[in-house]
Formats: sequence, C-alpha cells, structure tokens
Amino acid sequence: MVSIEYTKGSHGDITVATKKDVIIGRLPIMLRSRCCVLNLRDEAELARLGECPLDPGGYFVVKGTEKVILIQEQLSKNRIIIDKDSKGHLIASVTSSTDAIKSKTVFILDKEKIRVVLNQFIKPIPIMVIMKAMGIESDQEVVQMIGRDPRYGVLLLPSIQECVEENVYTQQQALEYLETKVKRFSFSYGSVEKEGRALSIIRDVFLANVLVRDLHFRPKCIYVAVILRRMMEAVLNKDAIDDKDYVGNKRLELSGQMISLLFEDLFKTMNSEVKKSTDNLLEKSSRSSKLDISQHLARDIITHGLERAISTGNWDVKRFKMHRKGMTQVVLRLSFIATVGHMTRILPQFEKSRKVSGPRALQPSQWGMLCPCDTPEGEACGLVKNLSLMTHVTTDDEEGPLISLCHSLGVEDLELLSGEELHAPNSFLVMFNGLILGKHRKPQHFATALRKLRRAGIIGEFVSVFVNEKQKCIYIASDGGRVCRPLVIADKGISRVKEHHMKELKVGIRTFNDFLRDGLIEYLDVNEQNNALIALYEGEAVPETTHVEIEPFTILGVCAGLIPFPHHNQSPRNTYQCAMGKQAMGNIAYNQLCRMDSLLYLLVYPQRPLLTTRTIELVGYDKLGAGQNATVAVMSYSGYDIEDAIVMNKSSLDRGFGRCIVTKKLTAINQKYANNTMDRIIRPQRVGRDAERMQILDDDGLAAPGEIIRPYDIYINKQSPINKEISVHSPAGLPDSAYKSAIQTYKGPRGETAVVDRVALTSDKDNNLCIKFLIRHTRRPELGDKFSSRHGQKGVCGTIIQQEDFPFSERGICPDLIMNPHGFPSRMTIGKMIELLGGKAGVSCGRFHYGSAFGEPSGHADRVEVISETLVKHGFSYSGKDFIYSGITGSPLQAYIFMGPIYYQKLKHMVLDKMHARASGPRVMLTRQPTEGRSRDGGLRLGEMERDCLIAYGASMLIYERLMVSSDPFEVQVCRACGLLGYYNYKLKAGICSTCKNGDNISTMKLPYACKLLFQELQSMNIVPRLKLAEA
Amino acid sequence: MDSQPEPVSYICGDCGMENTLKPGDVIQCRECGYRILYKKRTRRIVQYEAR
Repeated sequence: MVSIEYTKGSHGDITVATKKDVIIGRLPIMLRSRCCVLNLRDEAELARLGECPLDPGGYFVVKGTEKVILIQEQLSKNRIIIDKDSKGHLIASVTSSTDAIKSKTVFILDKEKIRVVLNQFIKPIPIMVIMKAMGIESDQEVVQMIGRDPRYGVLLLPSIQECVEENVYTQQQALEYLETKVKRFSFSYGSVEKEGRALSIIRDVFLANVLVRDLHFRPKCIYVAVILRRMMEAVLNKDAIDDKDYVGNKRLELSGQMISLLFEDLFKTMNSEVKKSTDNLLEKSSRSSKLDISQHLARDIITHGLERAISTGNWDVKRFKMHRKGMTQVVLRLSFIATVGHMTRILPQFEKSRKVSGPRALQPSQWGMLCPCDTPEGEACGLVKNLSLMTHVTTDDEEGPLISLCHSLGVEDLELLSGEELHAPNSFLVMFNGLILGKHRKPQHFATALRKLRRAGIIGEFVSVFVNEKQKCIYIASDGGRVCRPLVIADKGISRVKEHHMKELKVGIRTFNDFLRDGLIEYLDVNEQNNALIALYEGEAVPETTHVEIEPFTILGVCAGLIPFPHHNQSPRNTYQCAMGKQAMGNIAYNQLCRMDSLLYLLVYPQRPLLTTRTIELVGYDKLGAGQNATVAVMSYSGYDIEDAIVMNKSSLDRGFGRCIVTKKLTAINQKYANNTMDRIIRPQRVGRDAERMQILDDDGLAAPGEIIRPYDIYINKQSPINKEISVHSPAGLPDSAYKSAIQTYKGPRGETAVVDRVALTSDKDNNLCIKFLIRHTRRPELGDKFSSRHGQKGVCGTIIQQEDFPFSERGICPDLIMNPHGFPSRMTIGKMIELLGGKAGVSCGRFHYGSAFGEPSGHADRVEVISETLVKHGFSYSGKDFIYSGITGSPLQAYIFMGPIYYQKLKHMVLDKMHARASGPRVMLTRQPTEGRSRDGGLRLGEMERDCLIAYGASMLIYERLMVSSDPFEVQVCRACGLLGYYNYKLKAGICSTCKNGDNISTMKLPYACKLLFQELQSMNIVPRLKLAEA
Repeated sequence: MDSQPEPVSYICGDCGMENTLKPGDVIQCRECGYRILYKKRTRRIVQYEAR
C-alpha cells in the first residue's frame, strides 16, 4: 500500500491554498516490485523478514489472500489485420485504442465492393463515400494513392461505381449521405449540432488511432489507402492474408497495464464524485463555513475499487465498456513449481467454446517465446499458455524521441508526399506503432542504422525494427505487450560473445545486463526474428547468420524445464508432466512452516533430483524439490502392478519414502452481536459428559499446540448467547443459562489422529477475536496413493510388500518400488529410461548428471554412451540392467532387470481424502432420501443408467429395494374412492380420507417419500394427481 | 468455576514476549504492539506414535 502525494488549490477568496501529502487512496503493491519492501533484498535480509528468497513474487496480497493478475493475451491494437470472416469475405480490421476512445473499424469486401463497418453507422458505408467525406473528391487521386497497378484499379472500380450510384460526388454530399446513416440514439440531441455528427465520427471514431488535427484528414486518407492496398494485395495473392494466431500479431497485457486502466477509471470517478459533492454543498442556501474542496476528497473510492477488482477478478471499466471476469486467481501453493508456473500463465481473451483448432494449435512463431509443452488438457487446451524461460514482455516506450530520430535518419514525412509518390518502387513505408510515419528510400540502410543505435543503447533495447519485403514496409514498434527474447548477436556468422566474456561471467565481473549494454546480446521480438537468421549453435553458423541462440532449452517454460531429457519423450507425456508437476507435494517455500495456509501439502523428506537440468538450477527446484529419488526396478511383480499400479517396498515407507504432512487451518471467531452481547470462551469441564472430548483444551478453552487431536474432539470451548437481537443492559453479567454451547469439533478421517500444530490469536476486520488452529496430519503412503515420475507416468500404489519378499541385486540393492514394464512401449518415454541410467551413474560416481532439453551438443545433457561408460567403470552393466534374485524363492531371476533411481513425485491425490462408504446415514430433510456427496457422508446414487440396466435385466425386486426400501420408504393412506392421500387417525386407529371425510375406502400402501412430496407439490399448483389402486 | 483459573500466556509473533490475556482484551502484544499472538506449546506429556 502506498500513499500518494497530492497538491490541491482551494479558492477561498483569491488565495490559493496548497496541501501536500494528501492521501487519495491506497493501492496494492506487487510483491518484489520496485515499490515493494522486499525489492533488492539479499537472501539474509529476506530470511530476517521471514520471507522466502526463492519466492518469485509477482503477485498481490489483498485481504489476506495472495492473488495473481494473470497475463492476458489479445490481438494487437492499432494494427491492420487482413483476415477472412465466417462467410469467406475478405476483411481488414483495425482495433483502435487511444487514451480517449476505443473503436473497431472493419473494411469488408462484399461482392467486389469495399465497405466500412463501424458501430456508429447503421449499415456498411461504401469506402469511396468515406474518402470523399474526408475531402478526397477525385477518384483519380484515390487510385493514385493505392497504386497505379491496373489490377488495383479494376478491383476498386465497383466501389467507385457504387459511390456514383449513390449520387455522391463532393465532400458535402458525402457528409449528408453519412448523416442519414448515423445511428439514432433514443433521445435525439442531434438536431442542434447535426451538421457535425458525421464529420465528428469520421474524425474521432473511424480509425481513431490516426489523429486528426484541425480537420487535416490527409494522414487518415493515406492510412485508408494503405489498408485498401493491402486488401487488394490479399485478393490477388492469398498469402497476404494475416494469421491471427501469429504471435507477432498478439500483445500480452500485464498486471501493470490492467491496474493502470482500473486506476485511471477510479481516479476519474473520484474526481466526478468530488465535483458532485461540492456542487451539492454549493446548492445549499445556508452555508456556515467556507468551501474547502479538500474535505470532499473521498479516499476510499480508489482503495476499495482496486481491492474489489483484485479480490474478485472482475474488471469493470465503464468508459471502455470493459467487463472482464476471472482476471485474478489465488496463487497456487501446492508446490513451489506450481507457484512459479502460475506467474507465467497466459490467459486468452476470446471465448473458449469455439470449435476451431487454429488458436489451439502450436504456432511456429511461438518458438522461444511461449512454452510448447505447458498447456492444460481438455477444455482450455492450447488456449492457456505459459511463458518460456527467457521471454520478456515489453512495456511502453516513449514515442516522441523515436519519431524524431526516424526523421533524422531519412524518413520522408507523410505530409510532403503526393499520392503518386506513396508507393513508388524502391521505397518502403515506415510504420511506427501502427501509424504511417512516412517513407524511406533505403530501407535496409535505415533498419541497420536503427538496430545499431539500439545495440549502442541510444534507443530502448526493446524497440523492434522489422523490414517486411512483401508489404514494402518497415515496422518499428515500441509499444508494450510484445513478447521478445534475448539472442546473441553474430557478425558474418561469428558470435560476438567470446570465451573471455564467458570467463568474466563466471568470475562474476560481468552480468547479463553488461552483455546487453555492450551489444553482445539483444532482444528480438517475433516480427524482427523474421529478419534474422538464427543459428542454433555457434558451430552451425553460416556467413549469413545474424544471431545465435543462447541455449535451446530455453524454449521450454518453467514446468517443462523440470523434465530430464524431454526431447527423448513423446510430446504429450511432457504436457502431462507439466500439469502433474503442479500437483506434486514437496517444499513450498523456505518459510512454509510459518505460513498459515488453509491447506498445505508438504513432503517430509524431499530430495533434490539426481538427474537435474539447467532449468532446475535456474528456478531453484533443487532447493525446493517436490519428490524423492526412488530406486525403481522395471519388472513385473505379483498381479498388483497392472494398469500402471506400482508395488512399494514397506521398509522404504518405514524409512520415510513418500511420507507427507497435510496441514489444515481451522478458524473460530469470537463473534460480537448487535445487542452488545458476544460469544465467550470458557474453561473446559474437567469432569462430566464432555470432559473426555475436552482433554486437549487448556484453561483458556482453546486446544494447546502439540496435543494429539482425534475426530470429534473439541478444539474450542465456545458459548454464544441465546438472545442475539434484543438489547441487554449488562452484557457482562449475563447468567450461564443465557448461553448455549457453540463448541467446534475436529472432523477428520476416522481412526486417524492429527496434531494441533499452532494456535494463533488475531483480530479480524470487525475487531472480533479470531482464533486460527493449524492441524497437522502426517501420512505415510498407503494403497491407492498417487505417484508419478517426471515423464507423465502416473500410477497408484497397488500393494505394499515386505522388503523380505522384494527382489534384490548381488550388491544387496533392493528397489523402493517396482514398476511394470508395460508402461513403456505405448508411452515411449525414453527420457525416463535415460533418467534411470543417468541417475544410476550419478549415484555410483557421486556426481549429478544433467538432462537439459536438447542439451547433448552443448554439454547440458549427458549422452547415453558416456553414462554407460561410467556404469561399466563402476561395475554395472552398460545397459543399466542388473542380475536380480527373487525375494521370495531366493533364486536368480531369469531376466536381467532394468533397475536404478528415478525421481518420483507424490501427488496430492490421496486415498484418505477420497475414500467413502456408507451403509446408512444422514438424510435430506425435504425428500428424506440419503444425502449426496462424501462431505455429507452421502449415499452412492443408483442413477438412471444403472436403473435402465436393472430394468433391461428384469431385476424388479432389486430396483424396488434400491429405489424404495433403502432410500425413502413411506407409508400412506390412499382413498380408493377419490384417489387422494389421507391420514392415519391414531385415536380411531384407522385411516381417514380428508377429502371424502370418511375412512370407508382407505388402503394402506408404501410409496417413496419423494413421490408423496411430488403429489403434494402438484396439488399446491392446482394439479390433482389421483392414485388408482389395483390388485398386484 | 471453582478455583482461580491460572492465566494462560501467549507468545508475540514478532518480539517473542509472553503476554497474558483476559477475556475481552484486545489481541495485541504489550511490548511491541504486534497483533498476532501464538499459544504456547502444551506442558502436558504427549506421546506421539512413530509410524
């Protein structure tokens, strides 16, 4: 939170008063941002503050919860995009966005005529009318501006014809024509300034990004001409159509932009609010004091507005008609990697329901920018993306200096060009952030000059220069939201980064920023990459090469970076692992035991993977791991390992393999009520009925930390007043009888005991006493717990077997778990096999082996031959197979067994949280049927489809038993005469029909209670269901 | 309630001071004004099961 300095002038009589340091609101600060107290702290300082140095930051803390504002992906603004619509019409659309207005202009080619669709007009407007309205009355000039190629003229002819048919020849006529097409609003204020309506729309809304000064329409006309030219190019040549999914046509909106948008809106609301309240005051006839505007500054509009938006995720900006939901999410704290991965997530802006595959497919332009592996499965597949390791998202750069620089580098200004000169051969148009700046006669020379300036640090390092040969355009971009990545610059195929640079980096006298500043490395965005020839490795460079990749493994993101040898796996397996790595239990942060999360999964003995990657070291997964190195034997053992089940060694579990801690937070609030009464927490009874359940309570009525808590134990001995409405004179002197018990009991799995870990006392926002209990439960793996390796190979624990019965090698090595070899052929996870080999070599030679993606040529991954040599050197078979004895018979097994360590993750899905069974139990009040769901100890539903099976089979008695006897049987009195339900009179000991007023024709029968309920509900709606009874 | 209940003390989350609280007191450390207090660990003998 920050206070904003603010000066204010208040007109008393003539004096101007100034107030400094007025707080107009407080805004949440992103953790680890420049304003955050944690910014630039070193590890020791962070540790002193109780913060984890490995925590990525990048989220906000609002109302006690950690919230991320997800990166939003959208189509770039203020750019011409040529596309086809659903009917196959060629369209060119420009989404203009300035600080004042947001509009979308669409040019559509329908039946050879080009029209403009704009929200403010009721129907599409012929393009030539627009051109005339902007003052270009001569058709010849339009044709000249588009280009003198006769093919373009032919294509434009129908449009010119249409304009003539409408009898529009002059600017005046065009404006009059447009006036008739302007959308009428319900209350027409147009009569007064009717003349200006069409003109103002053309000026302010139509292509709003091209500014018009003093009705000087020339830049806008040229812009339209360029759009038309590009459309015609697209007609003649299908390749000229833009790809909407191309990453270069996209912009990523970061939290800063989102917050600034919201802040601007809230600030303007606050200003208008101040104005409103001052106006109200001035209207009052009798004013006692002098007016002081500063008194009317409402300070919570901004504070509350931002707080609400971030905590709910609903972005409502009225001025831009923006209503977006789900912009923020609670930070995932399942594992460290889940948190880091959450910060890199990119959410799409368009709807998910559409069945097109285009936006979901992997884009080649995604290379190095967005992770090709990390995407969810199912609904959001391919739409939700993640940043790659080295991606940088640009922020807005100042435009003014760049524009003047361009001019001084020889860009001919637009104003000085005639329509004829615009598309003259050998000259390129210069587009700056979507605007036409002018043209340049030596495009390559100009681009190189700009790039040299960028490398020298004269202009921002994220400015991109892109020469489009096809469109004869140079695109210069300095806007925010472009994705870019660093690359090593090469001159004539020789990398600028030399050995001595790397040595300096290693020693620590050179950092990444020095590389950037010295012009050894530069950032390229997706468009500029098209002008570069990038060599994967220095050795592969040819003389034309302009850049060399820094490291190929950086095309992957954080989650995919954990996988060793991902380039040896089938690609979907890597995607599965990306999803599963987020569910793995492990360490969350260095301060994990100080946190009070409502649910926390921790591994008791987490290990660092034996087979690491460079990414693991970069993100700190080796410090906050989520798994253990298990010795795995790939063999069949018993029948309990089919369908991916794994057989586990009981002694390994005793030693702590897969052991985890689950902590839950329980909250109790000592409520205050409106009538001055409040809840009270009293000393526990040491004798009597509840004494046994209150054993763990201290004298203050709260459970003590360290105590063992069993299900149904009371952890807070609270009482609340019976009378909560009527005011009481002396709330303190209320007798004991005025309170009723409001104890809270621990509800956990039966037969399991947990421990009260910590008890914290705080006060909440209403100043009530708030007590939080952290309950810790240690679990060892059991049958059905879910495990997975790092290769998308998940499996449940199928059985736990004594180590005595486990197979063992000659050296006495006994596996921790046994995996069925059937998991390999269809999944093709060769990476897992290499991980086993590398891990085995690693333990035998005492060195961590590496398995970075595509790392073999650069030495970031070990080759199998080298690993095998190490294995042989330490007395193992080169293949990783071992000579194994059976644990049961003691005789050697027929085959050699592939055995070695593989990093295994324990996933958060555990049987204890899921198992559920019920014979009889609670019922729903209304229908008297069993409740639904595990949390309510519900029954298991025999649904329609199951019922259909039973009907088809003819098991009528089973249906009767399931649907009636075991569900909601009910005895009713039915009148045979009227067919309605009666009642049983206990005095007369006979059934009586309340409609017929007698008990003559009463039969007793059984119905499901829900059926009786239906009859009564129908009756309440004036429908009479009557029962007709017959002998069965 | 028969005998005088012996007061239960709480540890400040910031400075580690021991505080005693009466019902109705504001939850705040007397030393440093920190608003989160933790309960002290039980003094009874607890026998955990090592599984």
